[in-house]
This record gives sequence, structure tokens and C-alpha cells, in this order.
Amino acid sequence: MGKVEGSFTVEDMKNVQINIGAVVKEEDEWDQPMGPFPNPSIATLRDWDFKLTDRYRIYYNPICDRCTLCTYGPCDLTGNKRGACGITQEAHQGKIVLLAVLIGCCAHCAHGRHLYHWVLEKYGDMPFDMGPQILVDAPLTRTICGIKPKTIKDFGPVLSYIEEEVAQLLACCHTGQEASYKDFDSKALHAGMLDSLGKEVSDMIQIIAYDMPRGDPDAPLVEIGMGTLDQSKAIFITYGHNVAGAAESIFYAEDNNLWDQVDIGGVCCTAIDNTRIGEGLGHPTIKKNIGTKSKVAGAMGWWRKMVRAGVMDCVMVDEQCVYCDVLEECSAIKVPVIASNEKILLGLVDRTNDPADEIVDDLVNYRVPGVIVLDPIKAGEVGIRTAIAVKPKRTEAQANIFLTEEEFKKHVESCTQCNTCAFVCPPHIRIARAMEEAAEGNLEPFSSTYEICVGCRRCEQVCPQDIPILKCYAYANQEYIKNQKFKMRAGRGPVLDTEIRIVGAPLCLGTIPGIIALVGCANYPNGTKECYDIAREFARRGYIVVTTGCMAMDMSLYTDEEGRTIWEEFPGAFDGGNVCNIGSCVSNAHAHGAGIKVATIYAGRNERANYDDIADYVLNKVGVCGIAWGAMSQKAASIATGFNRLGVPVVVEPHGVMYRRAYLGRTDVKEDWELIDARDGSKVYCEPAPEHLLYVAETKEEAMLMLAKLCIRPSDNSSGRMIKLTHYCDINMKYFGQMPPDWPIYVRSAGDLPLVYKEKMMKELEEKYGWKIDWKRKKILEGPIRPAEVAFDPTNIERKIRVRK
Amino acid sequence: MEMAVDTTKNPVPFDMAEFHGPEMAKTYNTKVIGSIIKKSKRPLLVVGAELFDDPVMFDKAIEIGKTGITIAATAHSIKGFIDRGYTENVYQIGFNPLANYLRFDDWMGLDGKGQYDTFILMGIFYKFASATFSALKNFKRDIRRISIDRYYHVSAEMSFGNLAFKPDDYHAAIDEVIAVLKK
Repeated sequence: MGKVEGSFTVEDMKNVQINIGAVVKEEDEWDQPMGPFPNPSIATLRDWDFKLTDRYRIYYNPICDRCTLCTYGPCDLTGNKRGACGITQEAHQGKIVLLAVLIGCCAHCAHGRHLYHWVLEKYGDMPFDMGPQILVDAPLTRTICGIKPKTIKDFGPVLSYIEEEVAQLLACCHTGQEASYKDFDSKALHAGMLDSLGKEVSDMIQIIAYDMPRGDPDAPLVEIGMGTLDQSKAIFITYGHNVAGAAESIFYAEDNNLWDQVDIGGVCCTAIDNTRIGEGLGHPTIKKNIGTKSKVAGAMGWWRKMVRAGVMDCVMVDEQCVYCDVLEECSAIKVPVIASNEKILLGLVDRTNDPADEIVDDLVNYRVPGVIVLDPIKAGEVGIRTAIAVKPKRTEAQANIFLTEEEFKKHVESCTQCNTCAFVCPPHIRIARAMEEAAEGNLEPFSSTYEICVGCRRCEQVCPQDIPILKCYAYANQEYIKNQKFKMRAGRGPVLDTEIRIVGAPLCLGTIPGIIALVGCANYPNGTKECYDIAREFARRGYIVVTTGCMAMDMSLYTDEEGRTIWEEFPGAFDGGNVCNIGSCVSNAHAHGAGIKVATIYAGRNERANYDDIADYVLNKVGVCGIAWGAMSQKAASIATGFNRLGVPVVVEPHGVMYRRAYLGRTDVKEDWELIDARDGSKVYCEPAPEHLLYVAETKEEAMLMLAKLCIRPSDNSSGRMIKLTHYCDINMKYFGQMPPDWPIYVRSAGDLPLVYKEKMMKELEEKYGWKIDWKRKKILEGPIRPAEVAFDPTNIERKIRVRK
Repeated sequence: MEMAVDTTKNPVPFDMAEFHGPEMAKTYNTKVIGSIIKKSKRPLLVVGAELFDDPVMFDKAIEIGKTGITIAATAHSIKGFIDRGYTENVYQIGFNPLANYLRFDDWMGLDGKGQYDTFILMGIFYKFASATFSALKNFKRDIRRISIDRYYHVSAEMSFGNLAFKPDDYHAAIDEVIAVLKK
């Protein structure tokens, strides 16, 4: 009988094997008892979900009125009709939302699973050490699973838990399973929570394995932009989200002294993670700060613009957010492609087991347009060697990258102004107008819309004149491309416990007005600059601004009046008036983690297997709001939904209607805003704070207003409420030209009123709203929904009541 | 009344793939649309930030407001009205929460006088407007959905055809609707 891990043989007993699955160690080093909900299954936190969705009404906007998921269909569900299986339109929308969230969740979780296997194979098990300033080291794992990981292997059961839940949730989408839209949405919230957990596992594994920063506010500034790639060298682009292969390319370049021959640039989140390598506590084999030798070519929205600009010689794709025509696009400009992860194989031949020399030779001599190499070490080597060897062979292709002046002129003059392109352009750029102006020698419209273009190529596909519109854009923006050189702070990783100790009280009392988390891509609706504008507005107002992924990359492309990028203008700590890049997409988990850590470190709540309690705390006491301003993928749906279950409101941009669902409050229904005072169980009608949980904004201005508003919490003290109301009113005055119409509902006492507007507001409360004011003492006597009370301990959870009245 | 503009042509969604389902908006001329709006008991005109791209549309919205129709100014479009000194029956509200309120029979409206029976839209980012028409089409069918936007809106009940690239025609069409309302 073969012996398997975890087994032993008892002597003198033949053919008997006792298997021990896991040794459960005694609970040491954790003074917290196991909480009520370790590894919650689908129905475990349903009560919490219903508390949320009873208040924040589930609002669906169908994008398709039909169901075509089974052979009964197509069923027309218009007007909330039922399909042949009996499902209603609203339940069907709930199912679609759940599917989207599951796709996003799987992307993050599968990313973590791949890294888990690879890291254990390469480095073996490693201690999970987040350094001396982070003791609450995996807050989501602790809160959801009730365990404290000690080594990388301890994340294995966490991934298994997620995988089982995902299978159960996906099963619910089969025809003839779940029928209730409310339950579909509860399941989506469950999937969102699992997504946050999967992200944490992924980032924690790579932080340990690749020695990434453990919450370093002074993480190095790295180079970003197409112009930073040194075209005198070979350019190797790593594109996607999984750093495994990209890291090996960096190690290969270093070990073989090739930095004078090759530049490594990243696209999308792999770019961010490349630049984080070697900036942590030290590593036995990874050189300090080696990641800073790689460059960030740009966010995913720039990919096709990079192709048209010809900034690359070889490309390695890994997983997530990779355009599906990457092989065709690269082949057209003689750029070999290496697929390094099973999730994207592109129909290529698997050469993982072939000698590197043979693979490189085939790629360099264009016998194949690309290869699959699933061994990250070999993929890294093949990529670097191919880039260097193929560069001289690309001279001709490279020389023809940009249109000539004559070609450009011919194309723009061939435009018939039919405007078919505008009908398919996601941001509806008036491309024909740019063509018309260019034909007369004015390239300004091509320049001013370059960053608004998302590079989707839909315009080229419908153009009856076959104008290569993206090539026209590239021609008109050659100078910009050459000079696109900026700095970005490398992803710093989790928030330090020490930072939470400093900001915990100001956040809960409201004197730091809130945390603004900008996540996802920055594609829409008016180009990448809007994310910079939003981040800067809130950093200047003293909010804590955190960001990740493509959002962090895109906000790096602008400078202030003094020529400073946002990273040079603002410090990088988790503190008011700071802007911190916490890392790649999976690092979004640290934004959740920060909320949990406020509850545990500042407020002393037990987080262990205690999700709803922590979420309840965040919802009522931590002024935090997420914003996805331009996200395109299902991952954004799962990220936002994960934030929502933790009690964090999220604002999305107008293309966000494609996610089909919002969570919106009704301020006109008093009962929706009833809270429990945990001190004695009394019921208190509160102001609607936060008013919404998932909100689609039409413009940047509206988004900023909502961000300020959705940071208001019932627990704000008067000084905090005054500060939050000041920003809310000030943003409304600045962009809307008047005071926000609903400001009185947030006033509990005169102390809540913004100093700058106080007199005027009190007068208005008396005259317009009939409130009673004691003018001598400058006090409000009657009128507010409730009085301000410092000791008020708001909760939605009955078990939090300490002493019943 | 002579109609200068044919608003029944080009029923093509401004996002070409934006076909929601079997039930699609019909295009009507300005006289019909104006008359239907005029006959409504509780009409609501919803305008958004795209009006800033064509500021004359603020003036036209104000003309409609002066006929007694309540205006919901979404995003920061309220500023366009304030700048023009018109705040009589204009309310600042986000488009997303407005659509949510419209789903509920017990909502008392922006002026506290009750739910609306006709939802009239112009000047809101196309995809957002389209999705909101879809929400009402599926979940609040007793509110009439009218687009007087420059785009054909597939999930409205009544819409203009596409006038996206004919600003003069579009302005003339809105003027014709206003003329009917003033009659």
C-alpha cells in the first residue's frame, strides 16, 4: 500500500491505514473565542443581508428583457412576466447579478489558488509574517473563517472553503433552483464576501513569497508610462494580473545581467505587482528593491494604444483583463506572445516541456505566433530571451508602426462623416469631427480625446471606409506617447495596526471625514483624468484616499501646477490628506481589512468568525465609501458587492448600469432608518446614513457629492458631523451652485452645523422648516430627527444589546 | 400646426447593440408627443448633465418648466438652471435614486403632491438613460415613458428617432413640443 501524506502504519496490523486529515492545534496565541459564524455557508448570514436589502432596496435595470439560459427559452420577461420555468424578471436579474459576482470572485480566488500551488512548489511553505507593525494580519480570513494563518499552507483550507461555496452558489443558478430575487441578492452578497477573502489570500501569498511591502507608506516611486520604456533596448511586456511568470522574467534579467539589453514593462495589475517585488522584510533569494527595475507601461485601458504605438517586442500574458485578440494584434506587428497561465491559452501549442532554446528559436523566427509555457520560470526566461533576440528582426515592422503623414492624410480625408463610429463608441467620441479637423490640419480633437478613447476598436469594425482609427490616434499623439513619463508609488500593501490606532478615533467620531477607496479601471466616462480629479479633491479635503490597480496607474498620469504627480503631492500613509496606493486588484482586500481593523484595534471588537458584527460596526461607525469610476469587468461587480456586505457604500460611474443592480435607500420611509441603541435595546429613528449602498452616478461632480454624503454615519459626534456636512455642502456649492436640498436631515444639534454656514442655516431651519431655535444660546430646541448623543451606540443586530430596557 | 421636423425616422439606438427585448419604443412626431405630455396629470421632466454640452437646451427645459411641468435636474445640471435664474419648479436629485423612487406607488414626488404618471427624459448619458427606461418598463409599467432626447430610446414607450447629429432639427423638434404644451 502506498503511503500518503498524513498517514502512519501501526506495526503488526496488516492492510490498516489510519488517515489523519489535519492536526488541530490547541488554541494558543489568540485570546478570542470562536465567533458565531466560522466559514459561513450560503444561508448563515442571510439575516444580515436582508437587514441590508430591506433598507437599501434592490433596484434592477435589465439590459436584456429575455431569459435564454435554458431550452424553454427564449422567454420574454418584460414587465416582470414569468418565464416557462416560473422565474420572474426580477429573480432572473438577481441570477445574472449573482453570475457576474461569481465570475469576479472566481477570478480572484483562482488567482490565489494558482499562486498558492506555485509558491509552495518554488519556495516551500513559508511563515506568514506581516512584520512588527501588523498583528491583525489577515483580517478577512480571521473574520470570515475564524482562523489565524501561521504559514502560507494555512491559506489552503481558506481557498477550499471559498471553492466549495462558489460551487454551491453556482448550482443555485441552474434552472429550477432559487426563485427569490432577494435570495439571489443575498447569494450575490455572499459571493462578494468570498471575493474579498479570495483577494486577501492572493495578496498575502504574494506579499510573503515575493517580499512585497508590508504597509510601507514610503514605498518607492517607480516609473510609469509608455515613454519610460527605453526603445534602445528590447521591451518585454508582462500583461495581466498574476505575477508568477513576470517575477521570473525579472529574476532572469537580474541573474543574467541583462538590464542593459531589456526593459520589462507591465500592463494592468501585473505591472503594479512587478514593482512591489523585494520591498518587504527581506527574502533569502530575492534582491532588495528588484521590482523597481521594472516599469509600469500602463493600465489595461491603454493596451491597444500601446500596440498601435509599437512599444513592445515580446508579450507574456497571464490572467484576467487580457484582450481576447491579443494574439492577432501582436502578430500583426510581429510581436511573439507567451501564454503563461491555463486560464488564457489562445489556441496555442503547449511547449512547457520543450527546451527553452527550441521555444525561443521558434518564436524569434516566427514559426509560431506564440506558445504556451506554463512553468513560470521557463516562461520568464523564454520571454526575456525572445524579446532580446527578436528585437533586431522587428526593425521593419517597427519602422511601419506609425502611419506616414500621407497615409494619415489619406485616411482622415476618406471619412465620409457618416458617424457610424459614434454609435458604437462607449464614450461616444465624435470621431468624425476629429477626422474632419485633422483633414484641415488640426490634430487637437485627436489629442484631447486620446485618453477618453478606451481602445475598444468597435469604431474600426464598423467603419465603412476601413479607416484604422486607432492608428490615426497613435499618429496624432506620437509626441505624447514619447513623453508619457511619470512616477507612481509602488503598492504599499496592508494598513498598519499603528496607522489604525492613530486614525481609528477620528474616523469613528468623524473628524477625519472618511476613507475614499478608488478601485478598478479608470476607463469611463470621460477618460482617466477624472480619477485623478476625484482623488485630489478628497485628499485636499483631508480624507484618507486609498487606491489600487489601474486606478492607481491612471491617476499617476497627471501633475499639479508644480509638476508633481499625485504621489509626490501627497504622502502615502493611511491618514487624512494622504493618498495611498495599496497595490493591485487583489490588494483591495486591504481596504476591507482597514475597516475590520478599525473595529478590532480601535473599538476592541472580536473579529473572529464574527462577520455580521464587524459589518454592522463598519456600516454604522466607519465613514468609508468606495468608488469604481470606469471599471469594466465582473471583478468590479464582485469587489463592490463584497464592500457592500461589509457595510461599505460604493459609487459607480454611469456605464456601471451594465452591472444591472443598485442598492438604494428611501429617505421618505422613516421605518427604514430605525436603529437599535446597543446600550439598552431602545429603538431610535435615525437620519439616513449612509443613504445608499450601491449608487450609479451620472457625472464626476455627482460622484464626489455622493462620496462625501455616503461617509456620514449615525455615530458621528458633533464635531465630526460638522466636518462631514461642511464637505457635503461645500461640494454641492462648488459644483451644483446651491446648498444640497437634504442637508437639514443630517442636523441633530447646532453643533453639527458647518461653521461657515451656521447662522444662515439656523435661520433657514427656523423659517423654512419650522424648527425651534433658541437664538440666545444658539441651540436647536425642536426639529431634528433625533438629538445628538455622544454615547449612542447604533447597531442593527439584536445580540449586540448589552442591557435590555 | 406645421411640423418642420420628422422625428419618426431613424429608430436606431445610439449604442447600436442596445436592444433590450421584444417590446421596443415607437417613434412619434412632435405633435403627438406634445399632446400626450399635455394630457398627463402628473408629468415629470427629467434632465441631466448632457445639457451642459448644448446649453440652449437649458433654456428649452425652462420653457417646458414654465408650462407647469416639474423638472428633476439630475447630476449637477441644477447649476444650469440656477445660472439662468430659474428655480421655480426644479429639483436637484440623482438619476439613480429618482428612478428608485418612481418604482413605489407611495412616493409623494419631488413636490410632495404624489407619484407621477408620465416620465419625460432628455439630456442624460445614453446608456444610463436607456437602462433606467428599462427599469421602468419592467417594474413600473403604469408610468408612461417618453423620450424627448436627441437619441432614439429603445426602452421608452414613445421616442424621437435618432437626431444625434442634427442639432438644428433636434432644437426645432423640442420647440415644436413646447409649442404644443403652450397651446
